[in-house]
Amino acid sequence: MRLYEYEAKALFRENGINIPESLLIDKNVQWDILKTHITYPAVVKAQILTGKRGKRGLIKIVSSKEETAQAINTLMDTRIDGMIIEKVLIERKENITEEYYLSITIDRMRHKPVIIISHRGGMDIEEVNKTFPADIYKYYKDVGEKLQPYEARKIASIVNTKRKSLLNLANIILTLYNKLFLKFDAKLVEINPLGRIENHWIALDGKIDIDEDGFIRHPELKEQGIQLRHEVGELNEREKKAKASGIPYVELDGNIGVFPGGAGFGIASIDLIAHYGGKAANFMDSGGAPTQERLKTMLGLLMDNPNVKVIFGARFGGISRCDDWAKAVCEYVLTNHPKKPMIMRMTGNMEEEGRKIFDEAKKQHPEYFKHIAVYSADKPIEEVIKEAVNKAKEV
Amino acid sequence: MAILVDENTKLLIQGITGKNASFHAKLMKQYGTKILAGVTPGKRGETIEDIPVFDTVFDAKANYPEINTTSIWVPPLFAKDAILEAIDANIKNIIVITERIPIHDMLYARKKAIEKGINVVGGNTPGIISPEKALVGMLPRKTFRKGHIGTVARSGAITYYLANTLNLAGYGESTSVGIGGDPILGMTFGDILKLFDEDPDTHAVIMAGEIGGVYEEMAKETIKNMKKPVLAFISGRYAPKGKRMGHAGAIVEGNLGTAQSKIDALREAGATILETFSEIPLRLKELNILP
Repeated sequence: MRLYEYEAKALFRENGINIPESLLIDKNVQWDILKTHITYPAVVKAQILTGKRGKRGLIKIVSSKEETAQAINTLMDTRIDGMIIEKVLIERKENITEEYYLSITIDRMRHKPVIIISHRGGMDIEEVNKTFPADIYKYYKDVGEKLQPYEARKIASIVNTKRKSLLNLANIILTLYNKLFLKFDAKLVEINPLGRIENHWIALDGKIDIDEDGFIRHPELKEQGIQLRHEVGELNEREKKAKASGIPYVELDGNIGVFPGGAGFGIASIDLIAHYGGKAANFMDSGGAPTQERLKTMLGLLMDNPNVKVIFGARFGGISRCDDWAKAVCEYVLTNHPKKPMIMRMTGNMEEEGRKIFDEAKKQHPEYFKHIAVYSADKPIEEVIKEAVNKAKEV
Repeated sequence: MAILVDENTKLLIQGITGKNASFHAKLMKQYGTKILAGVTPGKRGETIEDIPVFDTVFDAKANYPEINTTSIWVPPLFAKDAILEAIDANIKNIIVITERIPIHDMLYARKKAIEKGINVVGGNTPGIISPEKALVGMLPRKTFRKGHIGTVARSGAITYYLANTLNLAGYGESTSVGIGGDPILGMTFGDILKLFDEDPDTHAVIMAGEIGGVYEEMAKETIKNMKKPVLAFISGRYAPKGKRMGHAGAIVEGNLGTAQSKIDALREAGATILETFSEIPLRLKELNILP
């Protein structure tokens, strides 16, 4: 999960890395900007989890109170990539001599952290990587060890700065690695640009991406008001409901509702539906061993989506048992009497028990199960998908 | 022969008193897997499905020195410690069922395992099965049948669908390996493919990957040097676009991670690319691999 710039910078400041003098404006808090002391020129920056803010007009340079108020008005509440700007950061515009790039991430091929540094910061660093690859230096670090001061000096000296600023730069690298990257389960810590003013350095932007799976063990982040969040754009009602229930759910533009097991087959079934000439209406992930409540919520989302004409369901019982799945589906059907056809397949652990549950429910209320087929292992999964694709064409 | 688990597997279950672990201990035992002991700190003296429970891996190992494999079912924030304990006790195969292990934890555990020459499979693996020999994990046993195709996949359900498709066409599996769905894994596709290439019981290998990560691309060199044919199924061609790891990720990984990048790499390495499950028997026959 990525942190907002102001959150990353608060962590920088706490750890002794310089950041510009700043003021955070929250749309929910009343500010009279005309009465606030701000040093001009200043920079007004939209706090939003998207890249290339400069190029997209989300960063504005201002030199008066009036211009500041206007910039805030323009930015606040604007929708970008489905996200809404709710906070803006006003910073003093720093008069810097040079702009560097500095980041730490994980190289998943080498299975090692890597520190990346370049004196060509500020601009599009991916472009620099293509045009001046020799100007981007990478230092690989062994897993599980703190960065030593001599290593930080070695990295700093590569980019060839003068003695005093070199030691200051080395300190920033050391702090970034030991006190942020290692300490907070970060996947990425990045400062771009890292500005030099004579012998001193100042973080003009900040990106921190924390591993969601490690977030829970950092109560100090929570104390700072940083909440566990998933990066998503604008959500519709059903996606919001799914998110509240902790179900990964993304709507697509097709008409076949996918009620899969885990994420792996969820992704594969979207491809297979496309391969057989259909279009999936969603991606969804039940997670391992979902509760019955969760399964019912998942079905409800598909029933509520007006674009869904047919539901394709698959349960391959592994850690998730067929009997639990059957119970949840039957309860949902008996309570809600859904009209949409459900073409499904169930096999794997506790399959016989699951089948009994279906047979029993069907015997009692055959009228609610008219549109529901639950195949077994003898019908290949792709035959089931083809049937769902054909059904969607009929409906 | 088979790879990683077989009739000589002597299993330990770490976290055996948990709901899923105890349920699957029963199923594994029914399948014939030799489970010697379980570990849950503070539960020494209890039994689960007649399996004795110990406080530590060392106690279990002291009582059953023949333990050569462990499966880990503990909660995610305890997984690193459980893996390190198993490594310290010198258990040669560690199969990590636990999902969502923090990345920094898994990087450290896999490094320690590699230093000691220990196999770590997972996290977030559904397990490994060598049909009629042993099952470790929660794979549905009836889905698998003894045969000569090795499978290795990131997703549990896809592991099951591969076996299901093979079996309906008369084929069977030498071993089916779930390498796990977590972002950082112990053994990667390349490691498992090498084992299959050396296994006389395996005549061909099917690997199933998906968008995200770089493990499919990393298998390229291994596949180039393999004696046996590899078939590859990559899902995610129509998936909604995920988020990338920012600029630094792009500098380190370039354009790796997309379905196309994986398909291109594997095709270049000589693998047969699959678009569906149902074409698997056809492709195997084209490669002269018969049931």
